[in-house]
Amino acid sequence: MNDLVWLASLALFALAGLVTWRLAEIRRLDRGARASVALTCGLVFGAVLMYAESVAGIPWSRLTLGLPLLIIGAAAFRRTPAAAPFEPARWPPLPAAAFAAVALVAFHAAATARMTIGDLLLFWGPKARHFFHERAIDVAFLKFPHYYLMHPDYPPLVPLTWAGSSIVVGSFSYWGAVYTTPVVLLAAALAFRGFAAGTLGARKSAAFATLLLTLLVFTAVAANTAGGGDPYLVLFETVALSALTFSDTRAARIVAATALAGAALTKIEGAAFVAAMALSLIAVRRWRTAAAVSIPAAALVGSWVGFANHHGLLDGYARAERQLHLGNVGLVLGTAARRLGYGAFYLPWIAALATLVASRTLRRAALPLLVGVLSIAYSLYFYLNEPDPAWWIRASVERVMITPLMCFVVASAACHPELVNGAGRR
Amino acid sequence: MSRESLQTIIVWTVSLLLFAATVVRVSGRGGPLLRKPGTFVDHASPGAAEVRKVILLLPRVEPLIPRGEVVTVFRPMDGRSHNDHDNYLAAVGLLPHHQVIPPFSAFHETPPEHLAEWVVAIGEPFVHPHYRVVAGFPEGWLYRVAR
Repeated sequence: MNDLVWLASLALFALAGLVTWRLAEIRRLDRGARASVALTCGLVFGAVLMYAESVAGIPWSRLTLGLPLLIIGAAAFRRTPAAAPFEPARWPPLPAAAFAAVALVAFHAAATARMTIGDLLLFWGPKARHFFHERAIDVAFLKFPHYYLMHPDYPPLVPLTWAGSSIVVGSFSYWGAVYTTPVVLLAAALAFRGFAAGTLGARKSAAFATLLLTLLVFTAVAANTAGGGDPYLVLFETVALSALTFSDTRAARIVAATALAGAALTKIEGAAFVAAMALSLIAVRRWRTAAAVSIPAAALVGSWVGFANHHGLLDGYARAERQLHLGNVGLVLGTAARRLGYGAFYLPWIAALATLVASRTLRRAALPLLVGVLSIAYSLYFYLNEPDPAWWIRASVERVMITPLMCFVVASAACHPELVNGAGRR
Repeated sequence: MSRESLQTIIVWTVSLLLFAATVVRVSGRGGPLLRKPGTFVDHASPGAAEVRKVILLLPRVEPLIPRGEVVTVFRPMDGRSHNDHDNYLAAVGLLPHHQVIPPFSAFHETPPEHLAEWVVAIGEPFVHPHYRVVAGFPEGWLYRVAR
């Protein structure tokens, strides 16, 4: 029961994220998408708040965390100018039932410990638990030389938000950490559907959302990601990419910028994803959007690297100067290709790319396609920095390639023929 | 058939295939399917049986070790300590009120004054001239140094 209460404490973050509902375009999304956007942005607000309080020497407590987050969320209830009546795209019953069935399997797999990642026990859990007991980012713990394998300078969003949940409940929960995975995967698919519905219509957006959720759940089970940072990363990436693919409004840019900041503060690959997003936006001539959505993430990562440097924690971020091992190209490609069948005859790739083949044009899908290709490129680049990367690839490539798979599903949805004809617009 | 209908059929077909693959993968990780397992790693991988011992044992030995004391945790190999990073790092999170240090602090070559005060041996007994058993459990033993 305590584990479920711990999970329910995510609601505190979602409450803070309600402030995004002040944006007219977010208010037009269906309930599930609105709630997902609120959770996504709320997690970022919460993590940044905890980081700032830690730097300022303010110990975390229910008061020092709860009050600011509630104040941020309360802004959602200030009066806003009356908007024109608008009916969000409802879920058709059959796709809704299919989506619910996939969600049920995800919750079952998490609740019966069938998708737990080993790093929860070795890395994510210990950090969160020590941050919780210290009521701050525990620099002494991170600096302890014998805990070096826990990567002292790794981006802290996941341990921070888990420490926040632990403060709300009064104890840390490993089970609760596992349960967050189906929640964030569900949120990713719901947010995608909300942003896509305006372009694809209710039925098609629901179909692609079900495909996306099924893909995310399958890969989470196949790669054992529950209780790690990858599900959070894919949530932030999906929200940002969906917002920017299906819209170019101020609201989309604000949500995308927040989500990208979250990605950059979740995993080192998150910062690379932000760079891939910015480059892709520039390539499709959306210069201003590129700058607007990547600056908060860059500032946040810069601040975290400065914090790590100040406390003598630099590790992963200091590897940029390491030597490339280009002789390993064949090894990296071969080992990755063998793992990326996911033990299912490359079904995730076939599923993500199949509808692209049946599309008339890829122009509308340029942004997610470019981001997907670049995310494959930077993942392989990271492996080339290791002199002997075979073990690392076997241990991680199924997880890191969830990002390009997600991008290709978004691309498939974006280049849907109905969209090209304009017939799908509401 | 229109291109649009074809695309819709493709989306639902691949979704169904992925869903079936997910169900097969989930159900293939051992039973029982509808009961909450003892630990959060039970059906995650073939190696989970080893990991679950440390998860079950450490909450039971935790009250027996005074807070703040130095502990090391490992699965002995031939009765001796070795660099068992998995159990040691897991213990860092499972014993947050203690100072968990690496298993080299209980090597036979370690000078007595540098030995960890407490040793939790997972799965099999630990044999060392300077350690005495404090408590035993199905998943392992707790030892204290006797210098």
